[in-house]
Amino acid sequence: MRQADVFGEVFAVELIMAGAVFLAVLAAVLYAVLRRRAGAAAGPSERAERPRLEAAYVAVLAAVAVFLVVYTALANHREHRTGHVGAPAGPPAAPEVVEVDVTAFQWCWTFRHPRPGGAGATSGTCRAEEVPTLVVPTGRPVRVELTSRDVIHSLWVPELRYKMDAFPHHTNSFTLTLDEEGRWLGRCAEFCGYRHYAMHFWLRAVSPGEYERWVAGHQAAAGGAA
Amino acid sequence: MSLTGTADVEPARHRPAPAPGGWLGWLTTTDHKRIGLLTLGTSLLVMLGMGVLALLMRGQLAQPEEHLVGPQVYNQLFTMHGSGMIYLVMTPFALGLGVYLVPLQVGAPVIAMPRATLLGYWLYVLGAAIMLSGFATPQGAHSDGWFSYPPMAARTYTPGVGSDLWIAGVFLATTGVILMAWAVLWTALRKRAEGMTMLRMPVFSWSMAATCLMVIGAFPALLAALALLAAGRVEPAVFDSNLWVIGYQHLFWFYGHPVVYVMFFPYLGAVAEVLAVFSGRRFFGYRGTVFALLVFAALSMSVWGHHMFTTGQATNDYYSLTSILLLVPAGVEYFAMLGTILGGRLVFRTPMLFALAFVPQFLIGGLTGIMVGTPVLDYHAQDSYFVVAHLHYVLFAGSAFGLFAGFYLWFPKATGVLLDERLGRWHFWLLVVGTNLTFFPMFFLGYAGMPRRVVTYLDGDGFGLLNLLSSCGAAVLAAGMTVFVVNLARAALRRAPRAGDDPWRGHTLEWATSSPPPRLNFDAAHPLPPLTSEAPLLDLRRRAADEARGAREGRGAREGRA
Repeated sequence: MRQADVFGEVFAVELIMAGAVFLAVLAAVLYAVLRRRAGAAAGPSERAERPRLEAAYVAVLAAVAVFLVVYTALANHREHRTGHVGAPAGPPAAPEVVEVDVTAFQWCWTFRHPRPGGAGATSGTCRAEEVPTLVVPTGRPVRVELTSRDVIHSLWVPELRYKMDAFPHHTNSFTLTLDEEGRWLGRCAEFCGYRHYAMHFWLRAVSPGEYERWVAGHQAAAGGAA
Repeated sequence: MSLTGTADVEPARHRPAPAPGGWLGWLTTTDHKRIGLLTLGTSLLVMLGMGVLALLMRGQLAQPEEHLVGPQVYNQLFTMHGSGMIYLVMTPFALGLGVYLVPLQVGAPVIAMPRATLLGYWLYVLGAAIMLSGFATPQGAHSDGWFSYPPMAARTYTPGVGSDLWIAGVFLATTGVILMAWAVLWTALRKRAEGMTMLRMPVFSWSMAATCLMVIGAFPALLAALALLAAGRVEPAVFDSNLWVIGYQHLFWFYGHPVVYVMFFPYLGAVAEVLAVFSGRRFFGYRGTVFALLVFAALSMSVWGHHMFTTGQATNDYYSLTSILLLVPAGVEYFAMLGTILGGRLVFRTPMLFALAFVPQFLIGGLTGIMVGTPVLDYHAQDSYFVVAHLHYVLFAGSAFGLFAGFYLWFPKATGVLLDERLGRWHFWLLVVGTNLTFFPMFFLGYAGMPRRVVTYLDGDGFGLLNLLSSCGAAVLAAGMTVFVVNLARAALRRAPRAGDDPWRGHTLEWATSSPPPRLNFDAAHPLPPLTSEAPLLDLRRRAADEARGAREGRGAREGRA
């Protein structure tokens, strides 16, 4: 779950910086309120500006901005590099990429697994118990090709800290790698009309062996239906 | 509400030049003060209505799986609340402040292009009426959110005539705002009194100049986006091409980010004036602030793509760079505000309370703005309640508090009467509690995975408690705004004390004239003082104090010799 890891790290850094700035400003305001009250303070300062201090302060601000820009851009690039980041040097042959085609529509999702092997489509109505499940293996990069059949939607799995918009007449792609088995709720994040609030799906990560069995079962089901 | 009824008791020489009296006089006025008051009054009324829509939404979301309103109605509520507050309240109110105050602050007798300004007001009113009339149509008002992306907002998916009315209404109201911006900018550039150099304009007037530059530069892009949307409603096949789907987003956000600063700068300017006046000192770091405002306005034109990080079709590195760079001019503005109060002698009247709360509350909006301006964080936060919390900290905890700071500061100038301090304090404290109780829990809701624009959520989502807190906060906000309305009603019924020309010991030219000011702003009884700096009245008082001290010391010296 590289997205969640990168998010967690960057969010912690920015939250600490933001918290420090907020506390410093709040302290300055409280100091002014308590110690510069009309009852407590001497006359107001006559000083109109402090250009040297301000210039030094601007330099600090610019340095912080440059740090944030570079640091977060590197994090973004790390997140979107394909392949397994942080894997030990000289890894075994990279695991085969699983491809998934996701089509959003008003108001549910369709998942297809064209490669490798290929499995039939999973879909649903997103009503009551008919919430579709996207099944993927752990440990293998999952390449998601995302599009929409009607309006703009957005695929969001909050636990993965990641979303991507689904456009009609356009395909977006991104890669997920899930390290652990589990099941997470996915939602539509872009307003898409009447049942936007209920446009959910499940993301389920299973072991590679179980995934192969799942694909085989779905191939059989697809063949039987044909 | 009779805002100028008090003019009757002023000496005859302050009476406006002969013009149609009564309602007709107001509605056809070319007096910038009257046009300003019409704009401010209209947007304040719309604000109260939009607040009622917000209360309905908070009622619906207070508990999981509620059925107070259905999706059909809820989608209209959030759309009209968002578009109403942005297109019809915070933006026109900002320009209305400029129309009223900039000519006064730069020592001009009239506004540049008074008829165009009046036309701007009427286009705004017409646009507001058309947009809101959607509620009276069979399928209801527009329901696709304030940014109304196609193809969702195309006829195929939103067939109602309410959407067409929304497009027409926003187009007209925005055209009106653009006209007002030209008038205000032209007044600041070309109508200043002799001696009022650019670097002697008060911070508020500078904030308006920067605001008008953004309006003129960015708002036409909204008109283009709306024209595209209108074309797509006539012929939905326009949006069969991704070019126009993503193109709409680029056009919209080219307007959509600068407008955030249009809804922020004038209120920041108001806060700056309030902080300086109630600190009894010159605004600290004036020149740095002016420069920062201009840098801010310039950068604002290059950050729009940060609303599109998750589209997969924007250059995220670039828009993140420009967005995060905004912290430099923003930091300079904070330096000036903090410097002003740290070296001041603070007096806590109602305007000052709102201005002081603005400082840390807006900061929460700004700091979380850096977070959502960071692509890897925005991939999670985008379109979630984290963004809802962030934008309400910017626009309500920040801008609206600045709006009220300015309202309480300038109300006595515009009407000649003082608002009640005790009610003002109640209004303030209820708003502080209500604002933070309503909007702070939304950060956690968004982080936990609640998308924005959902009519309800499941019990199992675990969003219940935070939503309930937020809805309680909304009730507190409603109580605060009720107190505000009571305070205004009290003033309108003339139960309020007279303000005098300068109740706060102001620094800028509007305090040198009568309350309310005469038709041509300054007259023989209220001439322009010497324009020595951005705070001419402060200079005047200082000189008088120096002379008094000099005379005292001179006398003391003479007596010592004697």
